[in-house]
Amino acid sequence: MYVGLKRANWSAVLIWAILLIILIFTVTPLVFMVTSSFMESRQIVRMPYSWIPESFYYQNYIKALQGNDGSWIFPRNIFNSMFVSITVAITTVLIAAITGYGLAKFKFKGRHFVFMLIMATMMIPFEAIMIPLYMVAMNLRMQDSYAGLIVPFLVSAFGVFQMRQYLTTFPSEYLDASRVDGMGEIGIFWRIVFPNCAPVIATLGILSFRGQWDNLLWPLLVTQSEKMKTIPLYISKFAEEKMTDEGAMMAVAVIASLPMFLLFGLLSKYFIGGSSVYESRKG
Amino acid sequence: MKRKYIGIERKTARWGFAFTVPSILFFSLFSFYPILNALYTSMFDKRVLSLAPPKFMGLGNYTYIFSSPDFWNSIRATFVFTLGTFIPIVIFSLMVATFLTTLTSHRARGFFQIAYYTPAVISSVVAAAIWLLIFDPRGLGNQWVNAILASPGVDRKWLADRTMVQVSTMVVYFWKYIGYFVILFITGLSSIPPAIYEAATIDGSSRWQSFWRITLPLLKPTVVLVSIMAMLQCLKTFSTQYLFVQGGAPRAPINVMTLNIYTTGIRNQRIGRASAMSIVLFLIMLLFTWIQFRFSKSDDVEY
Repeated sequence: MYVGLKRANWSAVLIWAILLIILIFTVTPLVFMVTSSFMESRQIVRMPYSWIPESFYYQNYIKALQGNDGSWIFPRNIFNSMFVSITVAITTVLIAAITGYGLAKFKFKGRHFVFMLIMATMMIPFEAIMIPLYMVAMNLRMQDSYAGLIVPFLVSAFGVFQMRQYLTTFPSEYLDASRVDGMGEIGIFWRIVFPNCAPVIATLGILSFRGQWDNLLWPLLVTQSEKMKTIPLYISKFAEEKMTDEGAMMAVAVIASLPMFLLFGLLSKYFIGGSSVYESRKG
Repeated sequence: MKRKYIGIERKTARWGFAFTVPSILFFSLFSFYPILNALYTSMFDKRVLSLAPPKFMGLGNYTYIFSSPDFWNSIRATFVFTLGTFIPIVIFSLMVATFLTTLTSHRARGFFQIAYYTPAVISSVVAAAIWLLIFDPRGLGNQWVNAILASPGVDRKWLADRTMVQVSTMVVYFWKYIGYFVILFITGLSSIPPAIYEAATIDGSSRWQSFWRITLPLLKPTVVLVSIMAMLQCLKTFSTQYLFVQGGAPRAPINVMTLNIYTTGIRNQRIGRASAMSIVLFLIMLLFTWIQFRFSKSDDVEY
Protein backbone atom coordinates (compact mmCIF):
# COMPACT_ATOMS: atom_id res chain seq x y z
CA MET A 1 0.00 0.00 0.00
CA TYR A 2 2.70 2.44 1.05
CA VAL A 3 4.86 1.66 -1.98
CA GLY A 4 1.92 2.23 -4.34
CA LEU A 5 1.22 5.64 -2.86
CA LYS A 6 4.85 6.62 -3.18
CA ARG A 7 4.99 5.59 -6.83
CA ALA A 8 1.84 7.57 -7.58
CA ASN A 9 3.44 10.63 -6.01
CA TRP A 10 6.53 10.27 -8.13
CA SER A 11 4.55 10.11 -11.34
CA ALA A 12 2.59 13.18 -10.23
CA VAL A 13 5.86 15.04 -9.64
CA LEU A 14 7.15 14.00 -13.04
CA ILE A 15 3.96 15.14 -14.73
CA TRP A 16 4.11 18.51 -13.02
CA ALA A 17 7.78 18.90 -13.91
CA ILE A 18 7.13 18.26 -17.60
CA LEU A 19 4.11 20.56 -17.65
CA LEU A 20 6.14 23.33 -16.01
CA ILE A 21 9.07 22.93 -18.41
CA ILE A 22 6.75 23.29 -21.37
CA LEU A 23 5.09 26.23 -19.66
CA ILE A 24 8.46 27.97 -19.36
CA PHE A 25 9.20 27.19 -23.00
CA THR A 26 5.92 28.66 -24.26
CA VAL A 27 5.78 31.73 -22.05
CA THR A 28 9.37 33.04 -21.88
CA PRO A 29 9.62 34.19 -25.52
CA LEU A 30 6.52 36.32 -24.93
CA VAL A 31 7.97 37.72 -21.71
CA PHE A 32 11.17 38.37 -23.64
CA MET A 33 9.22 40.30 -26.28
CA VAL A 34 7.55 42.54 -23.69
CA THR A 35 10.56 43.12 -21.41
CA SER A 36 13.06 43.77 -24.20
CA SER A 37 10.72 46.28 -25.83
CA PHE A 38 11.45 48.52 -22.83
CA MET A 39 15.23 48.05 -22.94
CA GLU A 40 18.05 49.83 -24.65
CA SER A 41 19.77 47.62 -27.21
CA ARG A 42 22.97 47.37 -25.18
CA GLN A 43 21.02 45.82 -22.30
CA ILE A 44 19.22 43.33 -24.55
CA VAL A 45 22.42 41.86 -25.99
CA ARG A 46 24.21 41.69 -22.61
CA MET A 47 24.75 38.10 -21.45
CA PRO A 48 23.07 36.67 -19.49
CA TYR A 49 19.77 38.31 -20.32
CA SER A 50 18.39 40.32 -17.40
CA TRP A 51 14.63 40.13 -17.35
CA ILE A 52 13.98 43.52 -15.75
CA PRO A 53 14.53 46.68 -17.84
CA GLU A 54 17.12 48.97 -16.22
CA SER A 55 15.32 52.08 -17.32
CA PHE A 56 11.85 52.32 -18.73
CA TYR A 57 13.09 52.95 -22.27
CA TYR A 58 9.83 53.94 -23.96
CA GLN A 59 11.78 55.55 -26.83
CA ASN A 60 11.67 52.14 -28.54
CA TYR A 61 7.98 52.68 -29.13
CA ILE A 62 8.57 56.09 -30.67
CA LYS A 63 11.21 54.58 -32.95
CA ALA A 64 8.81 51.77 -33.82
CA LEU A 65 6.04 54.14 -34.87
CA GLN A 66 8.44 56.51 -36.60
CA GLY A 67 10.12 53.86 -38.78
CA ASN A 68 13.63 53.80 -40.17
CA ASP A 69 13.18 56.84 -42.35
CA GLY A 70 11.13 58.88 -39.89
CA SER A 71 8.11 58.71 -42.18
CA TRP A 72 5.63 57.69 -39.46
CA ILE A 73 4.12 55.17 -41.88
CA PHE A 74 3.50 52.51 -39.21
CA PRO A 75 0.29 54.10 -37.82
CA ARG A 76 -1.08 54.07 -41.35
CA ASN A 77 -0.11 50.38 -41.70
CA ILE A 78 -1.83 49.61 -38.40
CA PHE A 79 -4.96 51.30 -39.71
CA ASN A 80 -4.74 49.25 -42.93
CA SER A 81 -4.50 45.98 -41.00
CA MET A 82 -7.41 46.99 -38.76
CA PHE A 83 -9.58 48.08 -41.66
CA VAL A 84 -8.89 45.00 -43.78
CA SER A 85 -9.28 42.54 -40.89
CA ILE A 86 -12.53 44.07 -39.61
CA THR A 87 -14.05 44.29 -43.09
CA VAL A 88 -13.15 40.70 -43.88
CA ALA A 89 -14.58 39.54 -40.53
CA ILE A 90 -17.88 41.30 -41.23
CA THR A 91 -18.29 40.14 -44.83
CA THR A 92 -17.26 36.58 -43.99
CA VAL A 93 -19.82 36.34 -41.21
CA LEU A 94 -22.62 37.87 -43.30
CA ILE A 95 -22.05 35.94 -46.52
CA ALA A 96 -21.31 32.66 -44.72
CA ALA A 97 -24.48 33.07 -42.65
CA ILE A 98 -26.77 33.74 -45.60
CA THR A 99 -25.24 30.93 -47.68
CA GLY A 100 -25.29 28.52 -44.76
CA TYR A 101 -28.93 29.43 -44.14
CA GLY A 102 -29.81 28.86 -47.79
CA LEU A 103 -28.13 25.47 -47.77
CA ALA A 104 -29.48 24.34 -44.41
CA LYS A 105 -33.12 25.40 -44.53
CA PHE A 106 -34.25 25.32 -48.17
CA LYS A 107 -34.83 22.29 -50.32
CA PHE A 108 -33.91 23.64 -53.74
CA LYS A 109 -32.70 21.47 -56.55
CA GLY A 110 -28.94 21.04 -56.60
CA ARG A 111 -28.32 22.17 -53.02
CA HIS A 112 -26.13 19.15 -52.34
CA PHE A 113 -24.13 19.95 -55.42
CA VAL A 114 -23.66 23.58 -54.36
CA PHE A 115 -22.61 22.45 -50.90
CA MET A 116 -20.09 19.96 -52.26
CA LEU A 117 -18.76 22.59 -54.65
CA ILE A 118 -18.13 25.02 -51.81
CA MET A 119 -16.59 22.29 -49.64
CA ALA A 120 -14.29 21.32 -52.51
CA THR A 121 -12.68 24.77 -52.42
CA MET A 122 -11.34 23.91 -48.95
CA MET A 123 -8.94 21.56 -50.72
CA ILE A 124 -7.47 24.38 -52.80
CA PRO A 125 -4.76 25.96 -50.67
CA PHE A 126 -4.32 29.69 -51.07
CA GLU A 127 -0.61 29.16 -51.66
CA ALA A 128 -1.38 27.20 -54.84
CA ILE A 129 -3.60 29.88 -56.38
CA MET A 130 -1.81 33.02 -55.27
CA ILE A 131 -0.07 33.55 -58.62
CA PRO A 132 -3.27 33.39 -60.75
CA LEU A 133 -5.09 35.44 -58.08
CA TYR A 134 -2.37 38.03 -58.44
CA MET A 135 -3.06 38.13 -62.18
CA VAL A 136 -6.81 38.44 -61.50
CA ALA A 137 -6.13 41.35 -59.15
CA MET A 138 -3.96 43.01 -61.81
CA ASN A 139 -6.62 42.55 -64.50
CA LEU A 140 -9.31 43.99 -62.23
CA ARG A 141 -6.96 46.91 -61.45
CA MET A 142 -7.07 46.03 -57.78
CA GLN A 143 -3.36 45.98 -57.07
CA ASP A 144 -2.18 48.30 -54.31
CA SER A 145 -5.70 49.06 -53.08
CA TYR A 146 -7.99 48.09 -50.21
CA ALA A 147 -10.19 46.22 -52.68
CA GLY A 148 -7.18 44.12 -53.65
CA LEU A 149 -6.41 43.32 -50.03
CA ILE A 150 -10.01 42.49 -49.09
CA VAL A 151 -11.87 40.98 -52.05
CA PRO A 152 -10.08 37.58 -52.26
CA PHE A 153 -11.15 36.89 -48.65
CA LEU A 154 -14.78 38.06 -48.66
CA VAL A 155 -16.03 34.67 -47.48
CA SER A 156 -14.49 31.34 -46.53
CA ALA A 157 -15.68 27.81 -47.27
CA PHE A 158 -15.02 26.82 -43.68
CA GLY A 159 -17.32 29.64 -42.57
CA VAL A 160 -20.12 28.44 -44.84
CA PHE A 161 -19.61 24.92 -43.49
CA GLN A 162 -19.81 26.07 -39.85
CA MET A 163 -22.91 28.18 -40.43
CA ARG A 164 -24.68 25.42 -42.31
CA GLN A 165 -23.93 22.83 -39.62
CA TYR A 166 -25.13 25.23 -36.94
CA LEU A 167 -28.33 26.18 -38.74
CA THR A 168 -29.48 22.65 -39.63
CA THR A 169 -30.54 22.33 -35.98
CA PHE A 170 -32.45 25.64 -36.09
CA PRO A 171 -36.19 24.86 -35.63
CA SER A 172 -38.06 25.34 -38.92
CA GLU A 173 -41.28 26.12 -36.99
CA TYR A 174 -39.98 29.61 -36.26
CA LEU A 175 -39.40 30.22 -39.95
CA ASP A 176 -42.83 28.93 -40.97
CA ALA A 177 -44.54 30.94 -38.23
CA SER A 178 -42.85 34.12 -39.49
CA ARG A 179 -43.88 33.31 -43.06
CA VAL A 180 -47.48 32.92 -41.96
CA ASP A 181 -47.18 36.29 -40.25
CA GLY A 182 -46.25 37.73 -43.63
CA MET A 183 -42.56 38.37 -43.04
CA GLY A 184 -40.34 38.49 -46.14
CA GLU A 185 -37.54 35.97 -46.62
CA ILE A 186 -34.80 38.57 -46.19
CA GLY A 187 -36.54 39.89 -43.07
CA ILE A 188 -36.66 36.37 -41.65
CA PHE A 189 -32.95 35.91 -42.22
CA TRP A 190 -31.99 39.29 -40.87
CA ARG A 191 -34.27 39.45 -37.82
CA ILE A 192 -34.69 35.83 -36.80
CA VAL A 193 -31.93 33.61 -38.17
CA PHE A 194 -28.89 35.89 -38.04
CA PRO A 195 -29.29 37.05 -34.41
CA ASN A 196 -29.56 33.41 -33.39
CA CYS A 197 -26.14 32.55 -34.85
CA ALA A 198 -24.29 34.53 -32.17
CA PRO A 199 -21.82 31.79 -31.10
CA VAL A 200 -20.79 31.00 -34.69
CA ILE A 201 -20.64 34.71 -35.52
CA ALA A 202 -18.15 35.19 -32.67
CA THR A 203 -15.87 32.26 -33.51
CA LEU A 204 -15.98 32.86 -37.24
CA GLY A 205 -15.51 36.60 -36.87
CA ILE A 206 -12.44 36.13 -34.71
CA LEU A 207 -11.04 33.44 -37.00
CA SER A 208 -11.39 35.67 -40.07
CA PHE A 209 -10.02 38.72 -38.27
CA ARG A 210 -6.95 36.77 -37.18
CA GLY A 211 -6.50 35.34 -40.66
CA GLN A 212 -6.04 38.81 -42.14
CA TRP A 213 -4.15 40.27 -39.18
CA ASP A 214 -1.67 37.44 -39.73
CA ASN A 215 -1.64 37.52 -43.53
CA LEU A 216 1.83 38.16 -44.95
CA LEU A 217 1.75 36.43 -48.31
CA TRP A 218 -1.13 38.17 -50.09
CA PRO A 219 -0.30 41.76 -49.05
CA LEU A 220 3.28 41.00 -50.10
CA LEU A 221 1.99 40.25 -53.60
CA VAL A 222 -0.72 42.82 -54.03
CA THR A 223 0.67 45.99 -52.41
CA GLN A 224 3.45 48.17 -53.71
CA SER A 225 3.37 51.54 -51.97
CA GLU A 226 4.37 51.92 -48.33
CA LYS A 227 1.06 53.51 -47.44
CA MET A 228 -0.94 50.44 -48.53
CA LYS A 229 1.17 47.95 -46.59
CA THR A 230 -0.06 46.04 -43.55
CA ILE A 231 1.56 45.24 -40.21
CA PRO A 232 3.18 41.90 -41.21
CA LEU A 233 4.93 43.65 -44.11
CA TYR A 234 6.15 46.43 -41.84
CA ILE A 235 7.59 43.84 -39.44
CA SER A 236 9.38 41.98 -42.21
CA LYS A 237 10.85 45.22 -43.54
CA PHE A 238 11.95 46.13 -40.04
CA ALA A 239 13.60 42.72 -39.64
CA GLU A 240 15.45 43.24 -42.89
CA GLU A 241 16.72 46.74 -42.25
CA LYS A 242 16.94 47.14 -38.51
CA MET A 243 18.01 43.83 -37.06
CA THR A 244 20.45 45.72 -34.82
CA ASP A 245 17.76 47.78 -33.12
CA GLU A 246 16.32 44.89 -31.14
CA GLY A 247 14.36 47.07 -28.72
CA ALA A 248 12.47 48.91 -31.43
CA MET A 249 11.77 45.65 -33.27
CA MET A 250 10.19 44.15 -30.17
CA ALA A 251 8.19 47.35 -29.66
CA VAL A 252 6.78 46.81 -33.16
CA ALA A 253 6.00 43.22 -32.20
CA VAL A 254 4.21 44.30 -29.01
CA ILE A 255 2.12 46.88 -30.87
CA ALA A 256 1.20 44.27 -33.50
CA SER A 257 0.17 41.79 -30.78
CA LEU A 258 -1.81 44.12 -28.51
CA PRO A 259 -5.18 43.85 -30.31
CA MET A 260 -4.84 40.06 -30.36
CA PHE A 261 -4.06 39.81 -26.66
CA LEU A 262 -6.95 42.15 -25.94
CA LEU A 263 -9.37 40.02 -27.98
CA PHE A 264 -8.00 36.86 -26.42
CA GLY A 265 -8.38 38.25 -22.92
CA LEU A 266 -12.00 39.19 -23.55
CA LEU A 267 -13.12 36.29 -25.74
CA SER A 268 -10.73 33.40 -25.16
CA LYS A 269 -13.66 30.96 -25.30
CA TYR A 270 -14.32 31.82 -28.94
CA PHE A 271 -10.64 31.71 -29.87
CA ILE A 272 -10.33 28.17 -28.72
CA GLY A 273 -13.75 27.25 -30.09
CA GLY A 274 -12.66 28.51 -33.50
CA SER A 275 -9.56 26.35 -33.45
CA SER A 276 -11.45 23.20 -32.66
CA VAL A 277 -11.97 21.83 -36.13
CA TYR A 278 -12.46 18.42 -34.58
CA GLU A 279 -15.75 19.45 -33.03
CA SER A 280 -17.07 20.99 -36.19
CA ARG A 281 -16.27 17.83 -38.10
CA LYS A 282 -18.36 15.80 -35.72
CA GLY A 283 -21.19 18.34 -35.62
CA MET B 1 -54.51 35.36 -67.61
CA LYS B 2 -53.57 31.99 -66.27
CA ARG B 3 -50.42 31.60 -64.29
CA LYS B 4 -48.81 28.36 -63.50
CA TYR B 5 -49.24 27.61 -59.84
CA ILE B 6 -46.01 27.45 -57.89
CA GLY B 7 -46.32 25.91 -54.45
CA ILE B 8 -45.09 27.73 -51.37
CA GLU B 9 -42.38 25.11 -50.91
CA ARG B 10 -41.02 25.75 -54.39
CA LYS B 11 -41.34 29.50 -54.01
CA THR B 12 -39.30 29.56 -50.83
CA ALA B 13 -36.87 27.07 -52.34
CA ARG B 14 -35.98 29.69 -54.95
CA TRP B 15 -35.00 32.01 -52.14
CA GLY B 16 -32.69 29.31 -50.83
CA PHE B 17 -30.85 29.24 -54.12
CA ALA B 18 -30.74 33.03 -54.26
CA PHE B 19 -29.08 33.08 -50.84
CA THR B 20 -26.23 30.90 -52.08
CA VAL B 21 -25.59 32.92 -55.25
CA PRO B 22 -23.07 35.37 -53.70
CA SER B 23 -20.94 32.48 -52.46
CA ILE B 24 -21.18 30.60 -55.75
CA LEU B 25 -19.98 33.67 -57.63
CA PHE B 26 -17.22 34.33 -55.13
CA PHE B 27 -15.81 30.81 -55.11
CA SER B 28 -16.05 30.54 -58.88
CA LEU B 29 -14.01 33.68 -59.41
CA PHE B 30 -11.55 33.37 -56.50
CA SER B 31 -11.07 29.60 -56.10
CA PHE B 32 -12.06 27.59 -59.16
CA TYR B 33 -11.01 30.04 -61.83
CA PRO B 34 -7.52 30.56 -60.30
CA ILE B 35 -6.77 26.85 -59.92
CA LEU B 36 -7.89 26.16 -63.51
CA ASN B 37 -5.94 29.19 -64.62
CA ALA B 38 -2.86 27.89 -62.82
CA LEU B 39 -3.24 24.59 -64.66
CA TYR B 40 -3.58 26.41 -67.97
CA THR B 41 -0.77 28.90 -67.37
CA SER B 42 1.57 26.12 -66.32
CA MET B 43 1.60 25.02 -69.98
CA PHE B 44 2.91 28.39 -71.17
CA ASP B 45 6.13 30.32 -70.99
CA LYS B 46 4.45 33.31 -69.41
CA ARG B 47 6.15 36.33 -67.89
CA VAL B 48 4.48 39.29 -66.23
CA LEU B 49 5.80 42.27 -68.10
CA SER B 50 6.52 40.68 -71.45
CA LEU B 51 4.37 42.05 -74.27
CA ALA B 52 4.86 39.06 -76.55
CA PRO B 53 2.02 36.52 -76.28
CA PRO B 54 2.98 33.61 -74.00
CA LYS B 55 4.39 30.64 -75.89
CA PHE B 56 2.72 27.24 -75.48
CA MET B 57 5.18 24.66 -74.21
CA GLY B 58 3.04 21.72 -73.09
CA LEU B 59 4.59 20.04 -70.11
CA GLY B 60 7.81 21.97 -70.63
CA ASN B 61 7.54 23.81 -67.33
CA TYR B 62 7.03 20.53 -65.49
CA THR B 63 10.01 18.85 -67.10
CA TYR B 64 12.00 21.99 -66.33
CA ILE B 65 11.13 22.12 -62.64
CA PHE B 66 11.54 18.38 -62.16
CA SER B 67 15.01 18.51 -63.63
CA SER B 68 15.98 21.59 -61.64
CA PRO B 69 17.99 20.93 -58.47
CA ASP B 70 16.52 24.14 -57.04
CA PHE B 71 12.98 22.75 -57.12
CA TRP B 72 14.03 19.37 -55.73
CA ASN B 73 15.74 21.28 -52.96
CA SER B 74 12.42 23.00 -52.24
CA ILE B 75 10.60 19.68 -52.08
CA ARG B 76 13.28 18.38 -49.74
CA ALA B 77 13.11 21.51 -47.56
CA THR B 78 9.32 21.30 -47.39
CA PHE B 79 9.26 17.63 -46.43
CA VAL B 80 12.11 17.93 -43.92
CA PHE B 81 10.28 20.81 -42.29
CA THR B 82 6.94 18.99 -42.33
CA LEU B 83 8.27 15.74 -40.84
CA GLY B 84 10.53 17.52 -38.37
CA THR B 85 7.66 19.67 -37.16
CA PHE B 86 4.52 17.59 -37.17
CA ILE B 87 5.96 14.45 -35.53
CA PRO B 88 7.25 16.27 -32.41
CA ILE B 89 4.11 18.40 -32.27
CA VAL B 90 1.78 15.39 -32.36
CA ILE B 91 3.81 13.39 -29.82
CA PHE B 92 4.28 16.24 -27.37
CA SER B 93 0.77 17.62 -27.62
CA LEU B 94 -0.71 14.16 -27.09
CA MET B 95 1.56 13.67 -24.08
CA VAL B 96 0.74 17.07 -22.60
CA ALA B 97 -2.99 16.62 -23.22
CA THR B 98 -2.94 13.24 -21.47
CA PHE B 99 -1.07 14.75 -18.53
CA LEU B 100 -3.47 17.67 -18.32
CA THR B 101 -6.49 15.40 -18.14
CA THR B 102 -4.96 13.64 -15.12
CA LEU B 103 -4.82 16.95 -13.19
CA THR B 104 -7.61 17.01 -10.64
CA SER B 105 -7.65 20.78 -10.25
CA HIS B 106 -9.77 22.31 -12.99
CA ARG B 107 -8.26 25.70 -12.37
CA ALA B 108 -4.72 24.40 -12.96
CA ARG B 109 -5.84 22.61 -16.11
CA GLY B 110 -7.49 25.75 -17.46
CA PHE B 111 -4.42 27.83 -16.64
CA PHE B 112 -2.05 25.48 -18.47
CA GLN B 113 -4.32 25.31 -21.51
CA ILE B 114 -4.50 29.08 -21.81
CA ALA B 115 -0.76 29.52 -21.20
CA TYR B 116 0.18 26.93 -23.82
CA TYR B 117 -2.23 28.48 -26.28
CA THR B 118 -0.93 32.07 -25.91
CA PRO B 119 1.79 31.80 -28.62
CA ALA B 120 -0.92 30.83 -31.11
CA VAL B 121 -2.62 34.17 -30.42
CA ILE B 122 0.18 36.31 -31.85
CA SER B 123 0.74 36.41 -35.59
CA SER B 124 3.30 34.15 -37.23
CA VAL B 125 5.34 37.12 -38.41
CA VAL B 126 5.65 38.37 -34.83
CA ALA B 127 6.60 34.85 -33.72
CA ALA B 128 9.36 34.72 -36.31
CA ALA B 129 10.58 38.20 -35.29
CA ILE B 130 10.84 37.21 -31.61
CA TRP B 131 12.74 34.05 -32.43
CA LEU B 132 15.09 35.91 -34.80
CA LEU B 133 16.32 37.75 -31.70
CA ILE B 134 16.34 34.65 -29.50
CA PHE B 135 18.51 32.90 -32.11
CA ASP B 136 20.97 35.79 -32.19
CA PRO B 137 24.49 34.56 -31.33
CA ARG B 138 24.23 36.48 -28.04
CA GLY B 139 20.54 35.66 -27.60
CA LEU B 140 18.51 33.49 -25.28
CA GLY B 141 18.75 30.41 -27.50
CA ASN B 142 22.48 29.96 -26.91
CA GLN B 143 22.11 30.94 -23.25
CA TRP B 144 19.43 28.29 -22.59
CA VAL B 145 21.10 25.46 -24.45
CA ASN B 146 24.47 26.22 -22.88
CA ALA B 147 22.92 26.36 -19.42
CA ILE B 148 21.28 22.96 -19.92
CA LEU B 149 24.32 21.31 -21.48
CA ALA B 150 26.76 23.14 -19.16
CA SER B 151 28.79 24.33 -22.14
CA PRO B 152 29.33 28.07 -21.63
CA GLY B 153 30.22 30.25 -24.57
CA VAL B 154 29.37 27.86 -27.44
CA ASP B 155 27.59 29.44 -30.40
CA ARG B 156 25.06 27.02 -31.90
CA LYS B 157 24.81 29.08 -35.13
CA TRP B 158 20.99 28.93 -35.08
CA LEU B 159 20.61 31.11 -38.15
CA ALA B 160 23.91 30.52 -39.93
CA ASP B 161 24.42 26.77 -40.07
CA ARG B 162 22.67 24.76 -42.80
CA THR B 163 21.21 22.20 -40.44
CA MET B 164 20.58 24.50 -37.51
CA VAL B 165 18.54 27.01 -39.50
CA GLN B 166 16.14 24.20 -40.42
CA VAL B 167 15.89 23.17 -36.79
CA SER B 168 15.27 26.80 -35.86
CA THR B 169 12.27 27.11 -38.18
CA MET B 170 10.88 23.90 -36.68
CA VAL B 171 11.32 25.27 -33.14
CA VAL B 172 9.33 28.41 -34.05
CA TYR B 173 6.47 26.35 -35.46
CA PHE B 174 6.52 23.89 -32.57
CA TRP B 175 6.40 26.78 -30.10
CA LYS B 176 3.57 28.52 -31.88
CA TYR B 177 1.29 25.53 -32.44
CA ILE B 178 1.83 23.17 -29.50
CA GLY B 179 -1.00 24.73 -27.47
CA TYR B 180 -3.41 24.59 -30.39
CA PHE B 181 -2.84 20.87 -30.83
CA VAL B 182 -3.01 20.23 -27.09
CA ILE B 183 -6.54 21.64 -27.16
CA LEU B 184 -7.50 19.48 -30.13
CA PHE B 185 -6.33 16.39 -28.25
CA ILE B 186 -8.09 17.41 -25.05
CA THR B 187 -11.34 17.63 -27.02
CA GLY B 188 -10.70 14.12 -28.31
CA LEU B 189 -9.75 12.76 -24.90
CA SER B 190 -12.79 14.21 -23.16
CA SER B 191 -15.07 12.28 -25.50
CA ILE B 192 -13.83 8.97 -24.07
CA PRO B 193 -16.27 8.00 -21.30
CA PRO B 194 -14.59 7.83 -17.84
CA ALA B 195 -16.51 4.63 -17.08
CA ILE B 196 -14.10 2.70 -19.32
CA TYR B 197 -11.14 3.84 -17.21
CA GLU B 198 -12.95 3.05 -13.98
CA ALA B 199 -13.65 -0.46 -15.21
CA ALA B 200 -10.02 -0.89 -16.22
CA THR B 201 -8.74 0.39 -12.86
CA ILE B 202 -11.00 -2.02 -11.01
CA ASP B 203 -9.58 -4.82 -13.15
CA GLY B 204 -6.11 -3.79 -11.95
CA SER B 205 -4.87 -1.85 -14.96
CA SER B 206 -2.16 0.74 -14.26
CA ARG B 207 -2.27 4.22 -15.73
CA TRP B 208 0.47 3.32 -18.18
CA GLN B 209 -1.43 0.26 -19.35
CA SER B 210 -4.65 2.23 -19.59
CA PHE B 211 -2.96 4.74 -21.86
CA TRP B 212 -1.59 2.17 -24.31
CA ARG B 213 -4.54 -0.22 -24.24
CA ILE B 214 -7.50 2.15 -23.96
CA THR B 215 -6.66 5.78 -24.67
CA LEU B 216 -4.50 5.33 -27.73
CA PRO B 217 -6.71 2.86 -29.63
CA LEU B 218 -9.84 4.89 -28.91
CA LEU B 219 -8.06 8.10 -29.82
CA LYS B 220 -6.68 6.78 -33.11
CA PRO B 221 -9.11 8.72 -35.34
CA THR B 222 -8.22 11.95 -33.53
CA VAL B 223 -4.51 11.20 -33.82
CA VAL B 224 -4.80 10.58 -37.55
CA LEU B 225 -6.94 13.65 -38.11
CA VAL B 226 -4.69 15.92 -36.05
CA SER B 227 -1.55 14.54 -37.73
CA ILE B 228 -2.84 15.23 -41.20
CA MET B 229 -4.07 18.67 -40.21
CA ALA B 230 -0.63 19.43 -38.82
CA MET B 231 1.03 18.13 -41.99
CA LEU B 232 -1.20 20.20 -44.27
CA GLN B 233 -0.40 23.23 -42.14
CA CYS B 234 3.34 22.57 -42.37
CA LEU B 235 3.33 22.00 -46.14
CA LYS B 236 2.01 25.57 -46.57
CA THR B 237 4.55 27.23 -44.28
CA PHE B 238 5.80 30.58 -45.52
CA SER B 239 6.06 33.39 -42.95
CA THR B 240 8.78 31.92 -40.73
CA GLN B 241 11.05 31.01 -43.63
CA TYR B 242 10.45 34.33 -45.39
CA LEU B 243 11.24 36.36 -42.29
CA PHE B 244 14.34 34.32 -41.47
CA VAL B 245 15.67 34.89 -44.98
CA GLN B 246 14.89 38.61 -44.67
CA GLY B 247 16.71 38.58 -41.34
CA GLY B 248 19.86 37.22 -42.98
CA ALA B 249 19.59 33.43 -42.75
CA PRO B 250 20.81 31.41 -45.77
CA ARG B 251 18.00 30.80 -48.24
CA ALA B 252 18.74 27.36 -49.69
CA PRO B 253 18.21 25.16 -46.60
CA ILE B 254 14.80 26.69 -45.86
CA ASN B 255 13.66 27.50 -49.41
CA VAL B 256 10.28 25.76 -48.99
CA MET B 257 7.91 25.37 -51.93
CA THR B 258 5.75 28.41 -51.11
CA LEU B 259 8.85 30.58 -50.84
CA ASN B 260 10.10 29.23 -54.15
CA ILE B 261 6.74 29.89 -55.85
CA TYR B 262 6.80 33.45 -54.55
CA THR B 263 10.37 34.07 -55.70
CA THR B 264 9.87 32.47 -59.11
CA GLY B 265 6.49 34.04 -59.83
CA ILE B 266 6.74 37.49 -58.29
CA ARG B 267 10.42 38.37 -58.01
CA ASN B 268 11.60 36.63 -61.20
CA GLN B 269 8.23 37.08 -62.94
CA ARG B 270 8.22 33.54 -64.35
CA ILE B 271 4.47 33.05 -64.05
CA GLY B 272 4.29 29.83 -66.09
CA ARG B 273 7.01 28.10 -64.11
CA ALA B 274 5.55 29.28 -60.78
CA SER B 275 2.13 27.96 -61.84
CA ALA B 276 3.62 24.54 -62.52
CA MET B 277 5.10 24.57 -59.01
CA SER B 278 1.72 25.62 -57.60
CA ILE B 279 0.04 22.69 -59.29
CA VAL B 280 2.60 20.29 -57.82
CA LEU B 281 2.03 21.74 -54.34
CA PHE B 282 -1.73 21.48 -54.87
CA LEU B 283 -1.50 17.80 -55.90
CA ILE B 284 0.65 16.94 -52.88
CA MET B 285 -1.85 18.56 -50.53
CA LEU B 286 -4.77 16.96 -52.33
CA LEU B 287 -3.19 13.56 -51.73
CA PHE B 288 -2.97 14.21 -47.99
CA THR B 289 -6.53 15.54 -47.85
CA TRP B 290 -7.72 12.40 -49.63
CA ILE B 291 -5.92 10.24 -47.07
CA GLN B 292 -7.54 12.28 -44.32
CA PHE B 293 -11.02 11.67 -45.74
CA ARG B 294 -10.43 7.96 -46.09
CA PHE B 295 -9.28 7.64 -42.49
CA SER B 296 -11.95 9.83 -40.98
CA LYS B 297 -14.65 7.81 -42.74
CA SER B 298 -13.55 4.27 -41.97
CA ASP B 299 -12.28 4.79 -38.45
CA ASP B 300 -15.09 6.31 -36.44
CA VAL B 301 -15.25 4.79 -33.00
CA GLU B 302 -18.48 3.92 -31.25
CA TYR B 303 -18.40 3.80 -27.47
